Amino acid sequence: MNLATVDYIILALYFAFVLGIGWRLRKRVATSGDFLLSGRAVPVWITSLAFLAANLGAQELIGMAASGAKYGIMTSHFYWIGAVPAMIFVGVFMMPFYYGSRARSVPEYLKLRFDEKTRAFNALTFATMTIFSSGISMYALGLLLELVLGWSFTRSVLLSAAIVLAYTFLGGLTSAIYNEVLQFLLIVVGFAPLSIMAVIRAGGWGGMESRLPAVMTHSWKYMAHSADNPMGVEVFGMVAGLGFVLSFGYWCTDFLVVQRAMAAKDMSGARRTPLIAAFPKMFIPFIVIVPGIAAVALSKMNLGYNLPSNYNQVLTTLMAQFYPSGMLGVGLTGLMASFMSGMAGNVTAFNTVWTYDIYQSYIRPGAPDAHYLHVGRVTTIVGVALSIGTAYLAQHFDNIMDFLQLVFGFVNAPLFATFLLGMFWKRATGHGAFTGLLTGTGAAAVTHGLTVAEGKGGWITTVHMFPSTMAQNFWIAIFAWTACFLITILVSLVTAPRPAAELKGLVYGLTELPHDRDKAWYLRPATVAIVVGVVLLILNLWFA
Amino acid sequence: MLDLRIPSGLFFAAMGAILAVQSVVSPGLRAPLTVGDVNLYSGLFMLAFGGVLLLLARRGRQ
Repeated sequence: MNLATVDYIILALYFAFVLGIGWRLRKRVATSGDFLLSGRAVPVWITSLAFLAANLGAQELIGMAASGAKYGIMTSHFYWIGAVPAMIFVGVFMMPFYYGSRARSVPEYLKLRFDEKTRAFNALTFATMTIFSSGISMYALGLLLELVLGWSFTRSVLLSAAIVLAYTFLGGLTSAIYNEVLQFLLIVVGFAPLSIMAVIRAGGWGGMESRLPAVMTHSWKYMAHSADNPMGVEVFGMVAGLGFVLSFGYWCTDFLVVQRAMAAKDMSGARRTPLIAAFPKMFIPFIVIVPGIAAVALSKMNLGYNLPSNYNQVLTTLMAQFYPSGMLGVGLTGLMASFMSGMAGNVTAFNTVWTYDIYQSYIRPGAPDAHYLHVGRVTTIVGVALSIGTAYLAQHFDNIMDFLQLVFGFVNAPLFATFLLGMFWKRATGHGAFTGLLTGTGAAAVTHGLTVAEGKGGWITTVHMFPSTMAQNFWIAIFAWTACFLITILVSLVTAPRPAAELKGLVYGLTELPHDRDKAWYLRPATVAIVVGVVLLILNLWFA
Repeated sequence: MLDLRIPSGLFFAAMGAILAVQSVVSPGLRAPLTVGDVNLYSGLFMLAFGGVLLLLARRGRQ
């Protein structure tokens, strides 16, 4: 792919704007709260789009187009089942406890609700995960630019890291959130035309249906048995594994996304953040998945377009086929923006957890706020440096990254059980939560060790074969969640609970829930949630 | 706090203008599978989108 001068001008224009936003926002950073928490003053439309964009990295753009080409419209389950219901749940039921408890982070909520050891476990695993996620994002960016533009890996990684460091160092979380919104708008504007043109050229949805196997254009019809669809997953595994455990585990407990909602200026805004974000989230499949499906149809039309053997190149090959110089620059800028935004999201979540949950809690408590602001800034530099190191590690040990992503799954899957019991069962204890988390993580590892899919797992012995690693991952999540849920209950029942007075504001039944009666009916979280639910149902039925 | 609609509006308007100029400078520029002038249509849309964001920001100030 050859870029022209106009493409580089557009790329430079984007860099200038993101740095300019960071420069303008530097003036409002006076305290550690301003830097790490945005001073809890961000308008709801911005937190909503940032909530969405923090999850919309370039790996997702490229990966979802690839999955669209490989699995068809079934990939939309990652949105319609694997995201939106959890976003409704966190907005309606969980945000009153996160925001209302005044906790500054998810690990801090665990400390308030349970105890110090549960917070430490979550803070340390989360901090490690964010650094590796940021590094993986950088590594993927380096590979893409090397492949598409012929840039060296080092040049790509260092340039993007320098820009991310500059604007997050200057404006902190607010700068990261603002740039995430700009990135989201750029992705929509940059990739919607590609989707529209690819679908029209493929003869519309009807034309695509006529050229593709039926399993690629139906999301539910072939899910009764795992052997009937290319994902190798059946309804229960999909709904319980992806739709419940993995999805709720991510959207309801991952501080990276929850942090965006907690930056809202009031409780109503915090609750509406994931609900408003759910609207565009439902329609993102039409921008990221449908082009992949259209690519398969186009490859059958003798137009000179050949489907690449590596599905991860579907998106970039489509861009080369449909975008001339100019729009090509917009598309590539969108990809770079989403990579950088992914990095910035991880780095800002890392510096908050490190500064408040690790440094302030265990290394130097009781220092003046200016000290924590300084630590937050230094942690930003360290976080970016560690991410660069991780990117190089990934370059040399690709399998290590696969392994680490699997381990992250081990850690995240049981966490939702801990939160569910912590928020909705006042009898749950700190010992129960901690033991449950360890057992759940262990159960995930054991399930992986006893099952095999596509040659992966089975390092203890093989008691079951899954048709795909996707099915294996869903079932690992189900076992991990169930183990954590049961052990937390059992241990809680034999250990002493905290007095109810100490749990006020942290647990359902002991907390006065917000009703938003002062808001217009259409601004109330319950109304927004119902509308989102209805639209979601229609989409699922339409493409069933 | 900085109104994000202003930098976003300026960014999209500038990008739209660049694409529109590119379309005028190279009117026959086409990608292999496109027949229409993608840069012109996208550029005009981005100009309009940027303009709407700036207009909303201005109304918000008033």
